[in-house]
Amino acid sequence: MMFLAVRYLLARRRQTLLTLLGIFFGTAAYIAISGFMLGFRGYFVNQLVNNNAHVHIQPREDFLSDHSLDREFFGRSYDHAFWDPAPSGRKDSAIVENPQSWYRRLAADPRVVAFSPQLTASVIFSNGKATAPATIIGCDPLQQMKVTTIADYIVEGSFTDLAAGGNRVILGDELRKRLGVRMLQNVLVASATNAPLPFKVVGIYRTGNRFTDQGAYGALADIQAVNRTPSQVNEIAVRLEDYLQAAPIASTWSTLSQEKVESWDQLNANIFEVFRLQDAIRYVSIGAILVVAAFGITNVLNMTVMQKRKDIAILRSLGYQSRDIVTLFFSQGLILGVSGAFLGAVFGYLFSRYMQTIPFTGGTMGGRAGGTLIISYDPKIYIQAVVLALLSAIVASLLPARAAGKLTPIEIIRAGAE
Amino acid sequence: MGIVATGVGKSIGKPIVRILGDISLEIRSGEFVALTGRSGSGKSTLLYILSTLDDASEGRVEIDGRDVARMSATEISEIRNERVGFVFQFHYLLAELTALENVLMPARKTGRTEELTSYARELLGRFGLGGKEDRLPRQLSGGEQQRLAIARALVMKPRYLFADEPTGSLDSANSEIVMKLIRESNRNFGTTVIMVTHDLGYAGWADRRIHLVDGRISSTPTST
Ligand SMILES: Nc1ncnc2c1ncn2[C@@H]1O[C@H](COP(=O)(O)OP(=O)(O)O)[C@@H](O)[C@H]1O
Ligand SMILES: [Mg+2]
Repeated sequence: MMFLAVRYLLARRRQTLLTLLGIFFGTAAYIAISGFMLGFRGYFVNQLVNNNAHVHIQPREDFLSDHSLDREFFGRSYDHAFWDPAPSGRKDSAIVENPQSWYRRLAADPRVVAFSPQLTASVIFSNGKATAPATIIGCDPLQQMKVTTIADYIVEGSFTDLAAGGNRVILGDELRKRLGVRMLQNVLVASATNAPLPFKVVGIYRTGNRFTDQGAYGALADIQAVNRTPSQVNEIAVRLEDYLQAAPIASTWSTLSQEKVESWDQLNANIFEVFRLQDAIRYVSIGAILVVAAFGITNVLNMTVMQKRKDIAILRSLGYQSRDIVTLFFSQGLILGVSGAFLGAVFGYLFSRYMQTIPFTGGTMGGRAGGTLIISYDPKIYIQAVVLALLSAIVASLLPARAAGKLTPIEIIRAGAE
Repeated sequence: MGIVATGVGKSIGKPIVRILGDISLEIRSGEFVALTGRSGSGKSTLLYILSTLDDASEGRVEIDGRDVARMSATEISEIRNERVGFVFQFHYLLAELTALENVLMPARKTGRTEELTSYARELLGRFGLGGKEDRLPRQLSGGEQQRLAIARALVMKPRYLFADEPTGSLDSANSEIVMKLIRESNRNFGTTVIMVTHDLGYAGWADRRIHLVDGRISSTPTST
């Protein structure tokens, strides 16, 4: 029956081609769009996972309730205090309560590659008349380098220079520009509670991300001093063996401690939410194309069945069975689906190759000078596209083919004779 | 061996109309039978019932001793494929296939294309279609198309050839050729022929005539 199905399709080349086009576009579009979206996503996750800690341990942000300050103000002498107005707001300068126990736990955990205690402080930099508020991260540079890739983005100096101690600072390139300082010059760093202290610029980093490049790094002890919070930290950044384990590990740690423990993906949940939305849009739009393509196939097959009623009668009178007739029309739909899906996959692949040559430097996402769009060639995309296309072709062919199989030769001959 | 109909009737439609009634006949192997009668007398209906294409509302039809009503769909399709050849008034050919491919269509069903190709060519040659094997039906004349349809009906060397007004759409010269081919296959190959015809002249070529009037057999069969 395949033989005759092919003849039918070849006899109506233009119609065949038009019908094929729907499946072709659906498949190609799915591959190109998915390749683009997932390529970017892969790059993004890669950046996230490689550049930053996998798990962040931070103090819980405690919001004040009406009575959360009773004890501090009145001790145990009163059961109940009436406030006017009641206290509200957030407990600030929160710190990790017992970092030593965290250090012991993390050091003993085989899943942990490295961890870096940090104290992040809001400070004001000044250089002569130029001032700039910024966030400075105090850390042990050797530990920090094991947890994040910040050292890779140093454009002048060296990240390890922080370790020497004695009020040294590494500035983000944006911050350096605003302050107008050069390497080895001094800048003044002031916190809310401390008089300005001179810090020596021993390095410059540039990640390409504007926000990150407005920050600064210092040695943990120095920043603790500036902040007047000796031996305190407000974050412990952790790198794991397996970043995919980050979420479950973070959840376990979170229940075991007072601190807020978040994995890289929990921290960026909103972005992953956007990804899910993107997926939904991707599926819906490709679904729409394929539904249209499927209707095309159904229409064409219905028309063919009508036009070929005589052929059905002849074939049945020659001994062909109902199921042969079903096969005859079903295989036409299948041929359209298979060839449309195949050509679509090839074209989608070629188009992906083309997209890969389009320059793209990453925008605010991070510096990839001279880079191009990143396209995913995940076989899953191709399998999904082809399966979806075939599925829609199969569903589209089923009804017309079954209708053709139900026609009896006698009713066709009778109808034709009249 | 042969075809036996006992009390066959056919009713159709709503309200029910009886278009065929009380048909009992026997067609012996090797016979050439003509079905005659006025237009609308039920000739085609009877032919289709005798040839498995249609089913009887009452009575029974036996082909080679087997009740058609009790056959499975597969058995019926085997009978149509191997034992029965059809020729209709309108040469139902497959427009996308060449003359040779059309003739071989019944053989293709059972994968016997290779085996029967030389016989198909021989038939086409005998039917005056030699050298036209690769033409499409639309590249043939009306007479040639009908000859092609007969070749297709005979390619499986069937025991029975059913023809419904095979000359109905042909001019007299082509009718003559087609009728000679049908008679030849009856005489030389022993094919049983059951043919509906308007033409009393050609009806005379048959061994026996069955005449229908309003869905019933009117006179006793006459032998030539
Ligand atoms: N499917 C049908 N619907 C309605 N009437 C039919 C149908 N088939 C046959 N008939 C009627 O049955 C009668 C016999 O038809 P038919 O066997 O074709 O006669 P013939 O071949 O002798 O001209 C006619 O009156 C025809 O109109
Ligand atoms: Mg008739």
